[in-house]
Amino acid sequence: MVESKHRWKAWLYLAPAIILLLIFTVWPIINTLHMSVQEGYNQSLAVAGHEFEYGFGNFERVIEYDNFITCLKNTMILCVLTVPLSTILALVIAVCLNSIKPLSRFLQTIYFLPYVTNSIAIGMVFAAMFNIVGNNIGNENELITTAGIINNVIEFFGGDPVNWINAGSSYWANITVMTIYIVWNALPFKILILLGGLQSVNKQYYDAAKVDGTSRFRVFTKITVPLLSPMIAYVVITGFIGGFKEYSSIVGIFGEKMGPTGADGSLNTMVGFIYNAIESQQGTASAAALILFGIIFIVTMINLYVSKKKTHY
Amino acid sequence: MKFRKILVSVLLVVAMLTSMLSLFSCGGNKVAPEFKMPENGFDISKKVTITFYHTMGANLREVLDAYIVEFNKLYPNIKIEHKQVGGYDDVRKTISTEITVGDQPNIAYCYPDHVALYNMSKAVQTLDVLMNSDKTVKDALGNETIIGLTQEQKDDFIKGYYEEGMQYGDGKMYTLPLSKSTEVLYYNKTFFDEHNLQVPKTWDELEALCAKIKEIDPDCIPLGYDSEANWFITMCEQLGSDYTTANGDNNFIFNNETNRNFVKRFREWYKLGYVTTQEIHGAYTSSLFTMAATEKGNSYMSIGSSAGATHQRPAKVNGAYPFEVGIATVPQMDANNPKVISQGPSLCIFKKSNPQEVLASWLFVKYLTTKVEFQAEFSMASGYIPVIKSVKENPIYADYLNKADGGDFITTLSVKVGLEQENAYYTSPAFNGSSVARDQVGYLIQRCFVATWKDSEVDAKIKAEFDKAVKECKYQIGK
Amino acid sequence: MADNMNVTLQEKDLKKVGVAQRISGVFAKILCYAFLFLIAIIVLFPFYWMIISSLKTLAEYKLPVPTLFPKEIVWHNYVEAFDAANLGTLFKNTVIVGIVSTILSLIITVLSAFAFARLEFKGKNALFAALLATMMIPGELFTITNYQTVSMFNWKDTYTVLIVPFLVSVFYIYLLRQNFLQIPNELYLAAKVDGTSDIKYLWKVMIPLALPTLISITILKMMGAWNSYMWPKLVTSNPNMELITNGLRNAYSDVSGETNFPVQMAAVAIVSAPLFLVFLFLRKYIMKGVSRSGIKG
Repeated sequence: MVESKHRWKAWLYLAPAIILLLIFTVWPIINTLHMSVQEGYNQSLAVAGHEFEYGFGNFERVIEYDNFITCLKNTMILCVLTVPLSTILALVIAVCLNSIKPLSRFLQTIYFLPYVTNSIAIGMVFAAMFNIVGNNIGNENELITTAGIINNVIEFFGGDPVNWINAGSSYWANITVMTIYIVWNALPFKILILLGGLQSVNKQYYDAAKVDGTSRFRVFTKITVPLLSPMIAYVVITGFIGGFKEYSSIVGIFGEKMGPTGADGSLNTMVGFIYNAIESQQGTASAAALILFGIIFIVTMINLYVSKKKTHY
Repeated sequence: MKFRKILVSVLLVVAMLTSMLSLFSCGGNKVAPEFKMPENGFDISKKVTITFYHTMGANLREVLDAYIVEFNKLYPNIKIEHKQVGGYDDVRKTISTEITVGDQPNIAYCYPDHVALYNMSKAVQTLDVLMNSDKTVKDALGNETIIGLTQEQKDDFIKGYYEEGMQYGDGKMYTLPLSKSTEVLYYNKTFFDEHNLQVPKTWDELEALCAKIKEIDPDCIPLGYDSEANWFITMCEQLGSDYTTANGDNNFIFNNETNRNFVKRFREWYKLGYVTTQEIHGAYTSSLFTMAATEKGNSYMSIGSSAGATHQRPAKVNGAYPFEVGIATVPQMDANNPKVISQGPSLCIFKKSNPQEVLASWLFVKYLTTKVEFQAEFSMASGYIPVIKSVKENPIYADYLNKADGGDFITTLSVKVGLEQENAYYTSPAFNGSSVARDQVGYLIQRCFVATWKDSEVDAKIKAEFDKAVKECKYQIGK
Repeated sequence: MADNMNVTLQEKDLKKVGVAQRISGVFAKILCYAFLFLIAIIVLFPFYWMIISSLKTLAEYKLPVPTLFPKEIVWHNYVEAFDAANLGTLFKNTVIVGIVSTILSLIITVLSAFAFARLEFKGKNALFAALLATMMIPGELFTITNYQTVSMFNWKDTYTVLIVPFLVSVFYIYLLRQNFLQIPNELYLAAKVDGTSDIKYLWKVMIPLALPTLISITILKMMGAWNSYMWPKLVTSNPNMELITNGLRNAYSDVSGETNFPVQMAAVAIVSAPLFLVFLFLRKYIMKGVSRSGIKG
């Protein structure tokens, strides 16, 4: 009896969300599916009344693309590097912030400032930090006229300046910059979420540990992390989903060519590929999006499975 | 029992979705019909509202507003609503989305590749029937004129600009130019005079000049070229070699020996430290040009947009410019038959089911592109080149041109040079994929310049890079 | 639980533990502050950059190697920023859209998260997985279809079109569900036995306990309204319906139509100020837990 009452109540609570999702999310997804199975589907031609044959040509096209593997590899590498790094950093920061009293208001305020900072400014800072404006003046010696802040620091400690993002820079230098950039970008959000989560943790556990004389590290690993695990799971799972959709951060640093000068496309990602096709090759873009969807889905399922095992609710 | 329940619900969902799909997709062709000239021409008694998307900043909108007032004195029934949609990419994205429901504006700022995109939906109105119409219309001031363009008006357009409207492979006219810019050669006049250097007219002269400048100042890069893609396309035009074609199955025909040779030649220049480009430098090359000569890596020449003249001027030191800037036509293969690129916005008109709207749009486009005073003021406010030759005879504009110099009036100087080379403008074919080709040849140059190859393998590597570029182009347009 | 411990602990032990803890505590505090300040500087840098950029001349802004401090401070950029855009209208629209969509969105999110976290119904897990799945498709693919939908509804140039399509965010439902899951289930069952209605329980117990997360969602949602760009541009053609980012991006261009970034930055700084104040106000609630009990991590 209680069961059935619950059932219609649950659906009632969910109704507004479900109705809106059906219209503005599910329907577009169905449309995406529909576009992906029409060979060479092109929105502009479709508007003019052109008909397309049904088939899986779009999917074949995506997989056959020369740089498909590059896109996939970059996406994976960035995900694997940035998600754990930013989560651990954010967790440590949130716990630290939560444990101090003096100045905590002040520091909180500072950690919020990235939210009110325009994204153009963030991109520019990176140029200033990693840029090398360097040119070949002949005579077989590469001349670096001026270097960014990071290189100034490296030189100050006696190192050689590194070509981070300019023409001739190495792949791993590029990946390093991207990792720092993405982690940096993700931090404020994750700190906000984890801090919010920490506030909901039952304080009694800590009081108990305090009296018990448990070491800080043990408190962190045995109390904080387990109690915060739903939020950590959230941050990790959404982090992976976001990581697989990485695109605009690369444009922010390398521009539409998705790589340093002379190696265009070397940092392209799955969503970069989708964007490239979205204006004139909607069939291909849809197929690529569904392939990406498949990959994220599998990874998320694994994540959910693992987190269910490890999460303490 | 349970299984049947699931089956029923799955079937229900599928049925719902398919019905939704069929409901939406039967909308089919949403394109307005081709315009047909109404029997009685334009009806000036009926009110029509025209929307116009552009990218004009506040100062240009002021000029536009002033001339809309003037235009409304002739046609009080036409209401013009205009809107800055953002940059060119924003205009393209917005309109191509709006076309899917038939909500596109009447008139838009456009580049040739935008028109090629809109045209896949058959949304752009060809202008031939309008501009060749000899039907007359009587405006509110009582003047009777033909709806189309007179032969005189057609001939008044700078030829290369005008012909851009016909680059779509079918010989039809799709756009009229509004205001244009080009590439020009900026040079450090003070330095050139001091060392008695001649402004290079051809690439051969430029090569010799670079060698000379390197002797004077070994730590400099004599030339900065902003746009790699423009360089490639202009060279194809100057050499008469193939670049792209709007017709046939194979659009991308730039992989040929002539083109590979000039890339190889310029690559050598880059390796000698003669030249750099915007992407390789990491910023506009004007920053090297305006740099003090005492700094390492500065340049004495810069090839960039004529509309960006103010950025090529060095900052004042103690109230005076450290050097004077000279502006000239970019180097050529054949100085007697020069070829320079044309850039900047044109106007296109979209199909609408109400022919009066299309006619009103046309009258406004005609007004903006042929009205001497508007063209003059727009040019003075924007630093862009007017598209009709008769502007030069306008006394206020002639005065403006007379002020041209390499300091305070550098913008005027760039416009003046742009007008003087009026016979040199070329246009390249526009089709679905022309912007892809542009991007790819730019990347191609970057890759070839930057790569370190053994001398013996250079030819083969360049060939490989060309093959790669063509393959990428074809892939991106779905071939 | 804590009481039980107290009973079993000896007075002497307690003292010993206290001293050792205090020493390591001081050390940890210092480390903690050093770490927080280091990260603070890194996090603060873009904001600093925005402010100094807003005070530069356009020429200086465009230097290939940017300067760390403006050579010449141009306060006039702020005056220009104020004059150029129609800030009043932009501001009004953004505030209306921001507040209405935040409130509606919070209601929807709370109800859905509650259903997912506390109620048992058939197909719950499948439905939740399906919701998560919708997050995995790049949203840009939805634009054209959604545009067609709102055109069919005749919603263009209304507040509705700026608010309704983005009311439901699976991200937030998921976030709040996780937060609700942190709250012990025993409380809910006890309330059920007492005959407390779901809504009353939600209002009296769940919401106060999840307040920090709800505040986070509020902030993120408000920021969303502040930053949305592509969609508002597509669905509004009337300048009176523009939102702040659209107005700002277009307003500041120099003679050749090039964006005057310093003035744009100044404008961004101006419109960020109210958001910042809202945060200062809301932060109290996020940090409330800290002041309630002096926990040490």
